[in-house]
Amino acid sequence: MIDPAASPLMFDTSAESWLARTAGPEISRWLQDYLAVHRFSVSAITVTERIRGYSLLWRRAEPEARQRIETARIAYLNQLGIVLPVNTAVAVVAGEIMTLVPEPPTPPRRTHSHAESRQDRLSRWRFDQVIAATALVAAMPMVHNNAADFEAIRSAIERSPERFPGLGPLELIRCTLLTQSA
Amino acid sequence: MASQQMALLKKRTTLTLPSDALLQAQQLADARHVNLSTVVAEVMTAGLQLEAAKQRSAQVLENYRKAFEGFTDDELAILDGVILEPVGPERG
Repeated sequence: MIDPAASPLMFDTSAESWLARTAGPEISRWLQDYLAVHRFSVSAITVTERIRGYSLLWRRAEPEARQRIETARIAYLNQLGIVLPVNTAVAVVAGEIMTLVPEPPTPPRRTHSHAESRQDRLSRWRFDQVIAATALVAAMPMVHNNAADFEAIRSAIERSPERFPGLGPLELIRCTLLTQSA
Repeated sequence: MASQQMALLKKRTTLTLPSDALLQAQQLADARHVNLSTVVAEVMTAGLQLEAAKQRSAQVLENYRKAFEGFTDDELAILDGVILEPVGPERG
């Protein structure tokens, strides 16, 4: 189990929604203990991904469903804690990561009736790389629910430490480990 | 500035406190060579901060719940940045 009071954590886009969807007293208790001491920290890119999502849903929705989506969007914005910016340092580190692992490690997402385009998969991969760069520059452990993508980035950084002087390693925490006993 | 001045102001009052808590506070005050009022003020401030943090955390979690409730799995994928489009019929 990760001690909720130990240090502030950065939450990836995938982690935010996992936490919100995962019911259960253990995770609720962990979140309450964490928020009693720290605030939620996310990358500005996570806010971009999320707001793009709300905007797309709003545009696709029937007029009578739009108010519900707007209410959810406002609730999301109201709970935002610390939004870490994409500054010069983050931009430089993200550029290095993008060179080391230019292609996404997993194929586009697909269900029986829907599919992610190659272009959207690549842009999502680029977003993940900037999010990882933000955590690395902030020297904050990053909570995620996307092991395939972020482990690939972590490994690449470990293999080329000379490209990240004074930074790293990228510390990753899977959502499921937050409350899991050792 | 005004709130800082308010924080420095002191007011005398009479309280009824549990005797065991009062005894512990007095022991702490003796050990630290400060008066009982100092210890009680510190403990009260810490308790009020904890209470404020609890209320803030409850509000954040409530907003968090509202931000994601009522969406289908496909919609939640879109909110996670996974843009899924309907797939056209396969051509043989």
